[in-house]
Amino acid sequence: MTLSLFITKSALRNKRRTLLTMLGVAVSLGLLTLMMSVWKGFYLDTGSAESAQRVITRHKVSLTNFLPSYYRERIRTITGVVAVVPNSWFGGTYKDDKSGNFFAQFFTDAVEWPKVYPEYRIDPDELRAWQRDRAGAIVDDALATQYGWKVGQKIILKRNIYPVDPELTIRGIYHPPEASKTMYFHTEYVEEAVSWAKGQPGTFSIMCASPEAVTQVSQAVDDMFKNAPAPTKTESEKAFTLGFINMLGNVKVFILGIGGAVVFATLLVSANTMAMAIRERTREVAVLKILGFQRFTILALFVGEAMLQCIIGGLFGILPATLMTAIVSSMGGFFAGIKMTPGLFAVAVGVAAFIGFISAIVPSYNASKLAIVDGLRHIG
Amino acid sequence: MSETRNIVEVRDVSKVYKRDAFEVTVLEHVTLDILSGEFVALMGPSGSGKTTLLNMIAAIDHPTSGEMRVNGSNVFALDDAEAARWRNENIGYIFQTFNLIPVLTAFENVELPLLLTRLSASERKEHVMTALSMVGLGDRVHHLPKQLSGGQEQRVAIARALVTDPNLLLADEPTGDLDTKSATDVLEILKRLNEESGKTVIMVTHDPHAASYAHVTRHLEKGELLPL
Ligand SMILES: Nc1ncnc2c1ncn2[C@@H]1O[C@H](COP(=O)(O)OP(=O)(O)OP(=O)(O)O)[C@@H](O)[C@H]1O
Ligand SMILES: [Mg+2]
Repeated sequence: MTLSLFITKSALRNKRRTLLTMLGVAVSLGLLTLMMSVWKGFYLDTGSAESAQRVITRHKVSLTNFLPSYYRERIRTITGVVAVVPNSWFGGTYKDDKSGNFFAQFFTDAVEWPKVYPEYRIDPDELRAWQRDRAGAIVDDALATQYGWKVGQKIILKRNIYPVDPELTIRGIYHPPEASKTMYFHTEYVEEAVSWAKGQPGTFSIMCASPEAVTQVSQAVDDMFKNAPAPTKTESEKAFTLGFINMLGNVKVFILGIGGAVVFATLLVSANTMAMAIRERTREVAVLKILGFQRFTILALFVGEAMLQCIIGGLFGILPATLMTAIVSSMGGFFAGIKMTPGLFAVAVGVAAFIGFISAIVPSYNASKLAIVDGLRHIG
Repeated sequence: MSETRNIVEVRDVSKVYKRDAFEVTVLEHVTLDILSGEFVALMGPSGSGKTTLLNMIAAIDHPTSGEMRVNGSNVFALDDAEAARWRNENIGYIFQTFNLIPVLTAFENVELPLLLTRLSASERKEHVMTALSMVGLGDRVHHLPKQLSGGQEQRVAIARALVTDPNLLLADEPTGDLDTKSATDVLEILKRLNEESGKTVIMVTHDPHAASYAHVTRHLEKGELLPL
């Protein structure tokens, strides 16, 4: 036998209690893992280097207000602007309204598009084929895989915002750094079919010369149209995406609140369990001391037992949660960044260990400094 | 020279508990020598201070005044950690209620004190098996305490007490919870350990039959040691 086997056997002394504690830790750490990966995906990831160099200009009032297309040439004159394309949300549906069939569709300028999205790798022949075909579209690999689409395949989108049902041919499949589940097609297609859509893009996507130019370009764009009929709001691609997320409410406070509450509640439950488990063994502590066990060893035995319980329980929550983040992340779009990383995994396991440590340290310390004579007299 | 043959020297030891205005004197100026290799029975009515005296010899409890040398050490001067190490090497303690760890097998219970030594796993195993066969339990090694009878549990506890090969075995009413047959087994084992292995045995007991196994019987009465 070793001391660690002794710890393990002690932890399994009251199997039901240990299992329930581990289950509690599992549930809370599973939740915490999900929350942390959402937090990371939304707030910590800066995206690719190119994404950090991209800004989005939209109408200052709301996303449902359009911008005049002549803004594009005005924006081009600002120093630090490398390329600019109109980018409009089509918002159609594919096949039916099921949420699983939802994906983003934008219409844009296919010629300049590669300059604004240089990190989206696409076969040059496919790109040229898309640029030549006004009814052509490109989709990212995740979307193509989901629906089993091949280059040359025809698909039909159903109308929603714009009164047209585009009949598109997939001309290419692009590879973004993170699954985006997005389709791009031509502005001309929509403008020819819908007269009121002419010259009215939803947003402009701008590629800046460097990440440092982003602030200055954003400021210059907004200053330029401050007194125009359609004032603008320009922000980084990341901030733009966050704007969408924040429409759901104060996600940050929500995540912090849930995460904190869950960890705190688990801490209390675990602390209570450990206090009970250690109190029950008061006499045993006295016996161990008589056998020659020192204070520190006894402290380490109890704290180790609690940490073992919490880490194993935690893993039973962290692992399924990791699987869930993989599924969520594969949905692409906003969710692409919601991913587990080795760093997050380590943090989650660390939190589990921390819960074990904190919940056991006080009763363990008390047990370790208990006088032997008092321990021997303890009944129970 | 005669001093070195005393394994226990208790000098003028008193123990007083103060509770509010009351003072309870548990031991009063106890002076006692125990020769190395002796088998001593300690008798006396309930509350007379037998356990208290035994605990002091084991460096578990401290006196209000007085001095004591056990196996050459001034035990009252040891700090917590030193006392723990000293007990591990010098003392085997046997309880009335056995006090085995319920989740550990007989083998593991006996091995427990050896985890604090530098012995390798195979050396530990050898010591454990030797100790268990000395108490006649070589075939019960993988049983949990609850799968053993009271007499067997106490024999495991004795094996645990002697596995580190201490000079001194302290037993606090070791037969108090046992039937006559098991009690006799335990007393025979203690006698054998005393005679064959030269262990000094100090045994607290209420039972005159148990005391008859000892060479010397000392009586405590209200905290005072009666003269021989
Ligand atoms: N912590 C304490 N506070 C106050 N009194 C105590 C304390 N510990 C022991 N005593 C008292 O000391 C006296 C002697 O106790 P001790 O356990 O040594 O007696 P004993 O001879 O072993 O008795 P028994 O045969 O019942 O085991 C008792 O009267 C007991 O109440
Ligand atoms: Mg007693």
